[in-house]
Amino acid sequence: MLEIVSDKSWELLEKCPILNEYDIVKARQIVREFAKKEGMGIVDQTRITTAVSELFRNMFSYASGGEVLIEKGIIEEKPTLIITCIDKGPGIDNIELAMTDGYTSGGGMGYGLPGAKRLVDRFEISSELNKGTTVRVMKWK
Amino acid sequence: MEANTEIKNAKARIEHIEDVLSSVAAGELELRIESDIEDDLTGVEQAINLLIDDLTHELKKSLKMKQEMEEKLHKIQDQQKTILQQQEDLMELSSPVSKVWDNILILPVIGTLDSQRTQIMMENLLQKIVTTGCTTAILDITGVPTVDTQVANHLLKTVTAARLLGAECIVSGISPAIAQTIVHLGINLSQILTKATLQDAMIYSMKKNEQLVDGKVKTNYVDLDDN
Ligand SMILES: Nc1ncnc2c1ncn2[C@@H]1O[C@H](COP(=O)(O)OP(=O)(O)OP(=O)(O)O)[C@@H](O)[C@H]1O
Ligand SMILES: [Mg+2]
Repeated sequence: MLEIVSDKSWELLEKCPILNEYDIVKARQIVREFAKKEGMGIVDQTRITTAVSELFRNMFSYASGGEVLIEKGIIEEKPTLIITCIDKGPGIDNIELAMTDGYTSGGGMGYGLPGAKRLVDRFEISSELNKGTTVRVMKWK
Repeated sequence: MEANTEIKNAKARIEHIEDVLSSVAAGELELRIESDIEDDLTGVEQAINLLIDDLTHELKKSLKMKQEMEEKLHKIQDQQKTILQQQEDLMELSSPVSKVWDNILILPVIGTLDSQRTQIMMENLLQKIVTTGCTTAILDITGVPTVDTQVANHLLKTVTAARLLGAECIVSGISPAIAQTIVHLGINLSQILTKATLQDAMIYSMKKNEQLVDGKVKTNYVDLDDN
């Protein structure tokens, strides 16, 4: 399993809990604001906002919520926005399957995870059954 | 001076002190120890009275604070209720379906589409399709900042439900940034008829209804459902 490690040089910009649908909208808006502040254009803003929207909604739907860390750091020499979604939900049994286009265990479209991966520059996922799931996405300018 | 060290009525006075103390403890804060006699016990009685004064003062202060806190809490709760009510009102208001032309309904969607709002929006639209008999509905999403898989799913469902009621839905107002994002997400919206702008959707609908021929608006248009 892929281990997700944080870098000490990253700057924590904001921590948001995701407990209800309203939190999803709020956290999503905060991410968009930071993307704007980092000088991202409207396309990149939309991409990162949509990607995190998928992750936040998954946390809310499958893990009854979780926590989001919004950080800023240098990745491959580029200033990068790093968003980490941590939940203590049921975990994902088969990550490869969950990352497949069109796979859903609920009534979704099954494009959330694979779609989010395509929308960002870097995507990391780690999950342990009955422990929880952590997904991290990164987007640079 | 033996008389001075003697305490008069000692038993009765101590009982009185006990009475006053237990009454004060029970909340009768105005009570004080009373005595006409002056001797060694008087100092103790006065000290106790002073203590009760202090205690009463503190108690009254904290009671007042508690009251103020409760009032504030009530105010906040009221405000919260108002906000919730306003949110609900806004939700209803922000999905107004209107018949803008014979046979054409427009639903401008503004803001974020959570599942509750989408539900209301869908119900409003389907209801209006039934009551007006319109066979064209334009869903304009210019005002929706984020289209994720859930919103796309809701749009697909709304369009499908409208189709079952005999109406064609056109989705307009997908910005270039959102169009790119939808493509990367991988969602297939090809089942939905889309137009870049509300105006494009309007022109398309009027042409389809033969309300617009050779760039001219036909005024003698007869509602399709009337034949
Ligand atoms: N945080 C999570 N905890 C537990 N299971 C998850 C989590 N995130 C995703 N999953 C599982 O992975 C599956 C795929 O997720 P994905 O977001 O790709 O699709 P979906 O949520 O089912 O549908 P969509 O996102 O398209 O509406 C989900 O159906 C769910 O079973
Ligand atoms: Mg999902």
